[in-house]
Amino acid sequence: MNAVVHLAAVSRVHGEGATEVHALRSVTFRAHPGELVAVMGPSGSGKSTLLTLAGGLDAPTTGSVWIEGTDLASLDNAGRARMRRTSVGYVFQDFNLIPALTAAENVALPRELDGEKGKVARRLALTALEEVGIADLADRFPDEMSGGQQQRVAIARAIVGERRLILADEPTGALDTDTGEEILRLLRARCDAGAAGVMVTHEARHAAWADRVVFLRDGVVVDETGADEPEALLAGEAGR
Amino acid sequence: MRGWRPALLIAWRDALRHRGRSALVLVMISLPVLAVSAAAVLIQTAEVSGTEGADRTLGAADARVRTEGGGQVVQGVDPSRGEYAQLEVDPDDPLTAADVRAVLGADARLVPIATGWQRARLGDRVVDFSTTGVDLGDPLAEGLFDLERGHLPGAPGEVVVNDAMLAKGFALGDEMQVGGSTLTIVGVGRDATVRKYPVVLGAPADLPDESVDRREWLVAAGPVSWAQVRELNAAGGIVTSRAVLADPPDVASMAEQMGYDTGRNEMAAIVALVIVMALIEVVLLAGPAFAVAARRHARTLALIAASGGTPAQARRVILGSGVVLGLVAAGLGLVAGVVAAWLLVPAVQRFNGEWFGPFELPWLYLLAIAVFGVLSAILAAVVPAWLASRQDVVAVLAGRRGDRRPRASTPVVGVVMLGVGIAASSYGALTSDSGNGALWIAGSAIVSVLGMVLVVPVVVSGVARVSGRLPLTARYAARDAARHRTRTVPAVAAVAATVAGVVALGIANASDERQNEMTYMPNAPMGTGVVSWGPGVLPGEQAPDPDEVWDRIEAAVRSAAPEVGFQPIRGLEESYDPEGWTSTNVEVPGQDQELCCLRTYGPSVAIADSAAELGIEGDTARRVDAALDDGLVVVLNGSVDGRRDAVLSQQTYREGVDEPAASSRQTVPAELVAWDQRAYGAAPASSIIPTATAAQLDLDVVVGSARLTGDLDAATSTRIKEAVEAVDGASLYVERGYQRPDEAVVILLVLGALGGVLMLGGTLTATFLALSDARPDLATLSAVGAAPRTRRRVAASYALVVGFVGAVLGAAVGFIPGVAISRPLTSGYGGFGPDGPFLDVPWLLIAVIVLALPLLTAAVVGMTARSRLPLVARLD
Repeated sequence: MNAVVHLAAVSRVHGEGATEVHALRSVTFRAHPGELVAVMGPSGSGKSTLLTLAGGLDAPTTGSVWIEGTDLASLDNAGRARMRRTSVGYVFQDFNLIPALTAAENVALPRELDGEKGKVARRLALTALEEVGIADLADRFPDEMSGGQQQRVAIARAIVGERRLILADEPTGALDTDTGEEILRLLRARCDAGAAGVMVTHEARHAAWADRVVFLRDGVVVDETGADEPEALLAGEAGR
Repeated sequence: MRGWRPALLIAWRDALRHRGRSALVLVMISLPVLAVSAAAVLIQTAEVSGTEGADRTLGAADARVRTEGGGQVVQGVDPSRGEYAQLEVDPDDPLTAADVRAVLGADARLVPIATGWQRARLGDRVVDFSTTGVDLGDPLAEGLFDLERGHLPGAPGEVVVNDAMLAKGFALGDEMQVGGSTLTIVGVGRDATVRKYPVVLGAPADLPDESVDRREWLVAAGPVSWAQVRELNAAGGIVTSRAVLADPPDVASMAEQMGYDTGRNEMAAIVALVIVMALIEVVLLAGPAFAVAARRHARTLALIAASGGTPAQARRVILGSGVVLGLVAAGLGLVAGVVAAWLLVPAVQRFNGEWFGPFELPWLYLLAIAVFGVLSAILAAVVPAWLASRQDVVAVLAGRRGDRRPRASTPVVGVVMLGVGIAASSYGALTSDSGNGALWIAGSAIVSVLGMVLVVPVVVSGVARVSGRLPLTARYAARDAARHRTRTVPAVAAVAATVAGVVALGIANASDERQNEMTYMPNAPMGTGVVSWGPGVLPGEQAPDPDEVWDRIEAAVRSAAPEVGFQPIRGLEESYDPEGWTSTNVEVPGQDQELCCLRTYGPSVAIADSAAELGIEGDTARRVDAALDDGLVVVLNGSVDGRRDAVLSQQTYREGVDEPAASSRQTVPAELVAWDQRAYGAAPASSIIPTATAAQLDLDVVVGSARLTGDLDAATSTRIKEAVEAVDGASLYVERGYQRPDEAVVILLVLGALGGVLMLGGTLTATFLALSDARPDLATLSAVGAAPRTRRRVAASYALVVGFVGAVLGAAVGFIPGVAISRPLTSGYGGFGPDGPFLDVPWLLIAVIVLALPLLTAAVVGMTARSRLPLVARLD
């Protein structure tokens, strides 16, 4: 089966000379349809860099990133933006909803940016909101919702339309345990429905929802396993 | 001060850290400071006051005493600037040298000095110049003239001139005939006062004062005190005293001495209003930057509050940046203004007829201007500071963004103020005859603008509420603008205040122009031309033969434009010779002729055998023709028709004699014909005499002007004009109806440009601050796949929201003072045409401002905004 996202020997260096930082060193990584991959690692291990590269928000120093068979290096800025609108959904720790837009408008955003008519975009947005169970909050503004509700809106935004790659950066970091669990259940369900998911997390308990855990340290993949024994991988971090 | 130290420190560091935003505030405040301080320095430098001007008028003398006949004189400290009035004139008992010595001491030395005007011929032209007759070799005259070439007048008939005289065509060594004597130019140099106009200086005998009653002396008598000045005043002397200028006594102004209403209070009030308006504009323009600064500090301030800080301490942090940026901006603006003025002095001098004084800094004004700058920055920071001190600490710490809901009472107050503004301007318009109308209207403008500022938040929220159907970027811009009102409102209000000003001035200007147009008096039938000629003859010269000159003029017109009709208009001779002015009048005894306006060109009494010769048309033409056919004299008048007897008299007006001398009188039968000025413009002549009747009456008939008919388009009339003007003293006038003077168009253009610049400034400020504020949102947009150009679209939409809302509000508010001021401006002006008041709304200007300018600014913003979207930064 073809991977939805494929990082091939990707390195990312920030700065140069004395301030040079190797965020990722020759990392190869794949996520397939129906698969939820957890990316774990201590602070500064390169988790977030991996996610921004996978989403085409940043370009690798060396190596290449493929999304649904397209090399991102072959796309210009506008092309990568189109890729994000149509193929990639982002979920952030801080939700990153636009406060000036209602829930439905936030969800419809990628479709509207893609040139979809307002009504069609709104219908798609309502469907997505229904999938995450908050269709009744469609016309509320973000600051009129709880954290969990906001994150559901963010997930709805990430899945609206037929997007097959969901990138989640600490999606439960700002939520309480119960709400966090619900959000993870949603992500899991979406992957089971055929999307590929990549979730950065530092909580082992959340990694349990994943099919696979990739463990990063100092920009290198130190282990890649099934989801059965993440605790063992975290031993190094726990000891610090 | 202790409580302020940390706040100022934070503000200073913050200003350095956010250089872009600081630069924005600095520009907004230092530009007006620069402009006003440069103007203040230039005005001070151009003004030659007190002792500075003393050398120019006095030379080396202690005083200059002038008399225009005996009688009490009232004067100010510096009569050379026109501060004097002669209360009563006694020409028979003028002030004499002996009278002056009686006051200033018997040993006072008096050097006569005479000033006047003369004319001299240079080829086929006559040049006018002013004259100063004084012994330039006398030590007292030192400083009046600075010789650069040649030598000072020594022998009789020798004169020196300034450069402006050379520019007229004279040269060193030239001789000229002035007032019957021959003068030789022996030197060229710089007149102490006059720069642009030709001046000739020589001995008083060669350049006497034309006026018999006027006498003037340079006086050396030691310091002349104010008491002595008063004493000379009583005897009819007007005194410029060096000692008085150096140490001016506390004298009331001329107008106050004369008991006039000086209008000083009204003037001061208007100056104050202008300053307040400028302050409002600057505060509004700089306001958004402080609003953004306050938001950037929101978290810090919330933490301060959470750890026990008082609201006052929070306020100081924001006010501190007002103080810091205001001080820096005022300082920069002041220095730049002084430097700019220094650089501009030579350029401005070129446009000025008088020599400027030395470069001078009006310290008190400059200080006031600097205070204005600092004050505007602090005022701009007040509202953001006050809001920041009242922010919802919990919401800020929880990371929620956005302003509080607007208070319901604020717009109500705004609407009430708008109502007060309308009422006050109506009152001002209705009472404009009694004096203070303009003041009421200007005051109402400020109240209206302030009221409008209070209404802006509601309007902005309203726009956000109805933005649901707009495209994404416009919807985002409208909602974001409403969420961040502390940033948006001042920007919108700044745009609105600008537009209000431009619309108000535009309405005033258009109404004024409408009045000019409606009360315009055509000087000839529309589309026709008039050639007129008057000989430039000096006393003693033979005037050229008019018939010969008119033949030349006709030949010139025919060769330049053969297709144009040339109709000479004959009239009775009106002559000016050294003895006086002689003209022939036709009067109907007991009949007020009520003719307000006569054509400027052509004879007052015309000789013609048909109405068509004079270009008279319609019903009037038939009646004129009938009367002329009957050999009657036609008398055009305001309203009366009918047969009367008229008196034809030749009168000579002589200089110095009030009553004209009538040299002949004869009674002739006349037909009164009413002349409709509204339909036909100015009358072609006051009366018309048929050729045969003129011959019977033995009248001297000459050609007075010529009427040109046919197609006088711009090119043709330019050709004719050039041909005609080759004949000395001849000129062409073509009636094209009312022509808007270039200045009026320039004023409109300047208004439009100024409005555009301020609008662009306000919009740009708000937009780029909004963009920097919207960084997280833009990052999110980028993450969900917004194309790079989205940032530009957001920027353009934001500019459109700010510009459009501001323009619509401003245009509406501008109508209040605009309509009001048009009333006093265009009423109470009798004369031709309707009385007024007139009102004309320049819809095109308003459409450009309300529709085109916001679109243009949006386009500019859209094109200049960076298109790269920021990356989402995670807090880890």
